Amino acid sequence: MIELTNVTKIVRSGTEDLTILNNVSMTIPDGQFVAVTGASGSGKSTLLGLIAGLDAPTSGTIHIDEDEVTSLKEDRLAEIRSRKIGFVFQSFHLIPSLTAYENILIPMEIAGQRDAASRAEFLLKAVDLANRGHHYPPELSGGEQQRVAIARAFANSPKILLADEPTGNLDSKNGEHIFELMRQLHQQNNVTLVLVTHDPNLASQAQRQIILKDGRVVADETNHGDANTSR
Amino acid sequence: MRFIFNLTRREIRSSWRRLLFFFLCIALGVGSVVALRSLIQNLTKAVGTDARALMTADIEINTTTDFTPGDLARIEEIVNRSGIVEARNEAVTTALMARPLTPGNNNVKFVELKGIEPPFPLVGHFETSDGKPFDFDLLKNSGAVVAKILLEEMDLKIGDEIKIGEGVFQIRATFDEEPGGSSGFRLGARVFIEKKAFDDAGITRTTGRIRRRILYRTSDNPTELVKQLREALKGTTLAVSSYREAQENLSEQFAKTENYLSLTGLLILVLGGIGVWNVARAFVEQKRKSVAVLKCLGASGNRIITVYLLQILTLGLVGSLFGVLFSQAALWLVAWRYGASLPEKMTYSVNPATAAQGLILGILISLLFSALPLLQIRTIKPRLLLRDDNNLNITRLDRTKWLLGFFCLAGLLGLAVWQAGSLLVGTFFLAGLAATSIVLFIAALALTWILRRFKKFSSFSIAQAINSLYRPGNQTRIVLLAVGLGAFVVLAVQSLQSNLVSEFDFTRNQRLPSLFFVDIQKSQIDELRSMITNRIGEEPETVPTVRGRIAFVNGQPFDFGKPEVRQQQGQIGREFAINYRPNLDQGESIVAGSWWSDQPTDEPQVSVEEDMAKRLNIAPGDSITFDISGRKLTARVMSVRKLDVRNTRTAFVFVFRPGALEKAPQTFAATVLKHVPATDRQRLQREVLERFPNVQIFDVDDIIAAIQKLINNFVIAISFVGSFVMLSGILILIGSIALTKSQRIYENAILKTLGAGRRVLATILVAEYGLLGLMAGIIGAGFAVLLSWSVSRYLLDIEWIFSPQVPVVGIIVTAALVTGIGVVASFDVLFRKPLATLRSQ
Repeated sequence: MIELTNVTKIVRSGTEDLTILNNVSMTIPDGQFVAVTGASGSGKSTLLGLIAGLDAPTSGTIHIDEDEVTSLKEDRLAEIRSRKIGFVFQSFHLIPSLTAYENILIPMEIAGQRDAASRAEFLLKAVDLANRGHHYPPELSGGEQQRVAIARAFANSPKILLADEPTGNLDSKNGEHIFELMRQLHQQNNVTLVLVTHDPNLASQAQRQIILKDGRVVADETNHGDANTSR
Repeated sequence: MRFIFNLTRREIRSSWRRLLFFFLCIALGVGSVVALRSLIQNLTKAVGTDARALMTADIEINTTTDFTPGDLARIEEIVNRSGIVEARNEAVTTALMARPLTPGNNNVKFVELKGIEPPFPLVGHFETSDGKPFDFDLLKNSGAVVAKILLEEMDLKIGDEIKIGEGVFQIRATFDEEPGGSSGFRLGARVFIEKKAFDDAGITRTTGRIRRRILYRTSDNPTELVKQLREALKGTTLAVSSYREAQENLSEQFAKTENYLSLTGLLILVLGGIGVWNVARAFVEQKRKSVAVLKCLGASGNRIITVYLLQILTLGLVGSLFGVLFSQAALWLVAWRYGASLPEKMTYSVNPATAAQGLILGILISLLFSALPLLQIRTIKPRLLLRDDNNLNITRLDRTKWLLGFFCLAGLLGLAVWQAGSLLVGTFFLAGLAATSIVLFIAALALTWILRRFKKFSSFSIAQAINSLYRPGNQTRIVLLAVGLGAFVVLAVQSLQSNLVSEFDFTRNQRLPSLFFVDIQKSQIDELRSMITNRIGEEPETVPTVRGRIAFVNGQPFDFGKPEVRQQQGQIGREFAINYRPNLDQGESIVAGSWWSDQPTDEPQVSVEEDMAKRLNIAPGDSITFDISGRKLTARVMSVRKLDVRNTRTAFVFVFRPGALEKAPQTFAATVLKHVPATDRQRLQREVLERFPNVQIFDVDDIIAAIQKLINNFVIAISFVGSFVMLSGILILIGSIALTKSQRIYENAILKTLGAGRRVLATILVAEYGLLGLMAGIIGAGFAVLLSWSVSRYLLDIEWIFSPQVPVVGIIVTAALVTGIGVVASFDVLFRKPLATLRSQ
């Protein structure tokens, strides 16, 4: 379960303070597929980064299960990410010096998993890249790179998958493919999927949709009609 | 751990090209340290540090006078009482002119004559060139065994006869290697004759430059016996030494030389370290996103630092290994280029222990210089994958960074102390390096500041080039420091060379004689004068000389039991040629006391040369007692003189007031200033020797030519080392070009989009590196001139002449080098398509 309580994030922009997230609270139960939407600069990516412990909020708390991630040190946060969280970025962020196969291997090696090699091969197959494993990221297309990133995110069988506009840099066909892949993996593994997207079509396919505007949650509704709006 | 090792392996596989400069910096530094250390070690081995073999005995008693019967009796009594002496012999040596008796052979050469008696040698082996053990019978009945080189120099063969002094000797055999004689500067080739024949040749009667030795081989530690002998011979000028003391001195001297040279190597390695620091910084900068991804995937900062540290260590190790190979290649190069002028026995391989030391040094330098840049990994936040805010909000005092910086500095000091073999020297080295760097850095700052003022008066291209020197993350000052330091070392040596060589330039030193005749008897002086005048066309200047030794200073004898006094024995215990005259010579000046007064006096008075006065620690008013042919003569020191060696025909250490020495046994010295061709000098020398075999002739022109050759070789050697410093600077330059390349590509893409053509961009590139090279050259040349002036003025005490050629050529070459390298390393930037570059930003 992910629980945010009164989370605010303020950053310094030049000489002024800029509020990116403003007193955001929400709870995401295990296994839920949540889409976060909103205009550019509304705070979507920041929200995702805070959940993943990639950054710390200015105030408020974030809990991942029993851990309050806002109070943890960098290394402990890394450990939680390694065990519980998978992350997919809009611009893939694969390590350019490693092959596709090695990129998938890395999180398992960090976590000290024993069967890393066979699992990496399995994941490569699962994302339909069995014959591209020895290629380096610059040798792969955008869609292929994103599939490697998804395989990497699933490497340690995380409970939570955070995806920051994973289809944003892809054409519509590749975008659909990637989205389908994530949804399948979410359903098969029962992971909590938090997807940041601009695409209303993709957002509508999530179980729950949260809309942000100027750092505030302006809508939080489920797919089955029982909408719940808060300000 | 698997993660760490696997990632390290993969990172090395993909990044080694980018880290090639890192690798080269370490290789060059380690190579220099190992090559320099190995060179001096091999030289030490070849010259021989086995003092026992060098002395050819366990104990030596030597003197430049005859052993008196009293001395001999005392020595024998103590030696017999000790019961440890196994064998004894005597030897007598001097340098003399030799000429062949073969008709038509007009060669004349100085030889180092040594009269020996059996058993010889007491310690070590002696073989003739044909590989047979030396047989003393070869010397009997006027036989001579000579160094092989003498046959070549004088166009002789075995069986030929040579005349030395009044004696005629037949060459019976040659040798390649003399026991105990492979070190030191020599006037000529060694010639062995019987000791008896030495005395029979009339040499001892006419020349004073004779050294006599009594040598002993002992069956036990000779220290106690040496102590007793020294005690018994106190107050005489007899010097007692044991091979053990000589061994200690020799080993100490060689170790010091080795350590000083290693510091030069360390300087290159430290410059390599700056290169490493630069590369590591660029590397971490390029790896920011990868580090953030790894952190995002759950890797802790420490684990990531360990990965990159391991990578650096591996590259440091491989670079060091490459450096060792490089040092071996350098030694082969030395063998090929300078083998002829180095000892024949010299080997040119790297010592394994030195190689191991080089490896350790290389790895430690890699670690020390990459530690701080690698520490930056800690500050890379995974959030930069979402929002690149360049970690600008980290402004707090970073204690770990400061602590690590301190640790690195301490580590560097440790390395310097280790290499110098002394805490003091190591600390001075580091402090000196820091001070030099700060001075060069300030000069670089000042120059770049001045350059910036010129921007507004410049064309677009030049103004852009100046802007480029100030771009964020620019390496201008560090490159100026590194390349400037390299240019400084090379140009300082060149500048010093031109001053040293001009010091021996006859066209400037009009009063330096070309020929110097000594040991001339009073009866020979007139005839010799006319011989010289007829042959050369210049009447020689003749001065009387009296031979004498210092017996006491202020009534006290020298205490050669004291090591510091013993070290000076060669200078203070020798026989001096003493002159007497009423006036100061041209080129002499009084620095303390006064010249003879007009008041008549019975007291013998003496004037002492400045350096000797310092050595003896005396001032006007003190007294020196001389031993002149067994008679003691005490003289009052009236003045201390400074000699301008360039402008004096003779350089007498002691000059007496006329009146005291006229009745003492004396010979004459004659000098000729006119420079005539070598064949004329040889002919004159031969004629003089045929007529007056006792007269010794020094061909000063010949000696000066040898000294100039020595200076040139020395300069080549230092320039060789200096060029490595320069090379380190160039590597830093290339590394820094790589560091700012992506920015240059981006700037060029924008300029191209705005309409700048390739010609304009190329002009900017050439102007940027041209200015950089020009500034580095100015810094290097400026400080080189300053150093050569201060060394000439204060250390070598020679006249300093500013010759603009060295700095001007130095500045042009440095600028051309930097421009060439900068342009070649950045040339591809001009051909990049702007769209792809702008899209990727």
